[in-house]
Parts: sequence; structure tokens; C-alpha cells
Amino acid sequence: MIALVRLVVFGFLFLSVVYLGISIYSRSVRRGKLKLQWDEEKREGDRSAFIREGMEAYERSLRHKLILLVYIIPVIVIGTIIYITNYT
Amino acid sequence: MRYVKWTFWGLVWLLLAGWLHYTLPQHDIVRITDTYSKRIDFGENSIFWATADVGTDGTSVNRDVFFIQAKRADDRIMVYRNEDTGWGWPPYFKFDTANLQAEAGDLKSTAADPQWAVVRHYGWRNEYLTIFPNAVEVWPVEGPDVRIIPWFNIVLLTFLAALIWGVRVRWIRFRMKRIDPVIEDVEEAFDAAGDSISGTTSRLGRFFKRK
Repeated sequence: MIALVRLVVFGFLFLSVVYLGISIYSRSVRRGKLKLQWDEEKREGDRSAFIREGMEAYERSLRHKLILLVYIIPVIVIGTIIYITNYT
Repeated sequence: MRYVKWTFWGLVWLLLAGWLHYTLPQHDIVRITDTYSKRIDFGENSIFWATADVGTDGTSVNRDVFFIQAKRADDRIMVYRNEDTGWGWPPYFKFDTANLQAEAGDLKSTAADPQWAVVRHYGWRNEYLTIFPNAVEVWPVEGPDVRIIPWFNIVLLTFLAALIWGVRVRWIRFRMKRIDPVIEDVEEAFDAAGDSISGTTSRLGRFFKRK
């Protein structure tokens, strides 16, 4: 069982690093798009408030939640491999 | 200098290809002749053996290992081992070693009345190191000429090639944008320094000659 615990712990750590990386990249892309949108449309008002609201809307969006698939997909893949190797 | 670079990269690719060839699954069409179990003491070749059966004591320096003896379609002999990979590497998550041994035993046949089977395995057979490929799956087939297409390998290698290509393209772009201009600036600085030094030398030379 210790090998399974090791796999889970190290797998979780590694996937967390990947998740953070993708999350930060996605946020920076979103922020860049918001800034571009503001500059191109030449809006009036508070730019940083607009960006902040845009980022909060992004955090509620589906795309942000899809990044959690980083945790789910390897589990599914491993489950499939176990099924194929041991039960067919 | 170029040869050093080529040798280095050649070695890197060779190592990667070798590692992939060892770890990825391959299929052999064989006639299983016997199955047995043997006590193995792990010595220098211990990295080429897998783990003890999941749930048993994994720390002993020797243990019983299942083997499957087989004859390939081209009449060459191949001996496979049959071990759990468990939760470790390579990620085959093989837990059913004893079941596989029972299946292999059921498929034993003689040359007079052959029963052909496909053995999915990974690893190498090397007599000089006494290492064996690890059988992962066994299933019966009709004859020695059945065509097996390695779908998993195809998908994985394509994905890997795409990944390496993507990294390489981005590295070249990065180098052209960021590193080459800096190197050119450094080279220009060296050239300018060199000119000024030769200017100094000739001035110094003239100074001493005057004296």
C-alpha cells in the first residue's frame, strides 16, 4: 500500500505544479485580452476596476473550472490502464 | 567542435530511443512451451527486474519470479518473466501476475499441435545480463501470421514527436528573438574593443619610437 500512497502524494504534488502553471498562464492571457479590449474600445472610467471585474468574471467561468481536469484526467487514464491490463 | 555537438545530441537521441524501446509495449506471436517459477537473487541487473507482488514484502533481496518459456513463429526461443509492476514504473499497473501465469499455463502446446498466442511485453532479453522481458498480457490467436497493429505506440510516439517539435520550434523562435541579438551586440563590442586596442598599440608604438 505504501507504493500507492507514494504515487498519490507525488502525483498530487506534480499535478498541482502543472495546475498552477496552467492557471497562471491562463489568467495572464485573460488579463492581456482585457487590457487589449479596454485599449481598443477606448472606454471611459476606471481601467483597473474594469480589469478586476473581468478577472472575477473569468474566475466564475467554465474555462477556469476546466483546468481542474488536470487532476481528473490522469486518474481516469490510470483507471483505464488498470482495467485493460488486469481485466481483459 | 561540430563533431562534439553531433556526438552529444546523437547520444541523447540514442538514449531516448533505447529507453522508449525498453518501456513501450511490444507484441510477439509465440507458442508457449512451459511455465515455471524460479528463485532470483538480484545483483547487478536488479534495475531490469520489477517489483514483488503488490501486497507482499518488497524489501527482500531475492524472491520467486514466474517465467514463461515460448517459441516464436520464426523458431527462435524467447523466455519472458511475469512480474507485477504494481503502482511503480513502468506504468502498466499490472497486478494480476498469478492470473496471467495461469492463463499462460492454459495456453501451453506442443509443436505437433500448436496453440499460438500473442504476448504483450516490455523490456529486453539479454543473455549476458540475464534479463528478461516482462509479459503483461497473453491471449490466444489463430495462427502465427496474425497482424498486430501497435495502436498505443503509434499514438504515443506521434504525441511525443509533436511535443518535441513544438518545444524545438519555440526554442528557435526564442533564440532568434532574444539571444542572437545579444550575441551580436557582444560581438560588436568585442570588435570595437579590438579596434580601439590596435589603435592604442599603434599610438603606444609611435610613442616609444619617438622616444
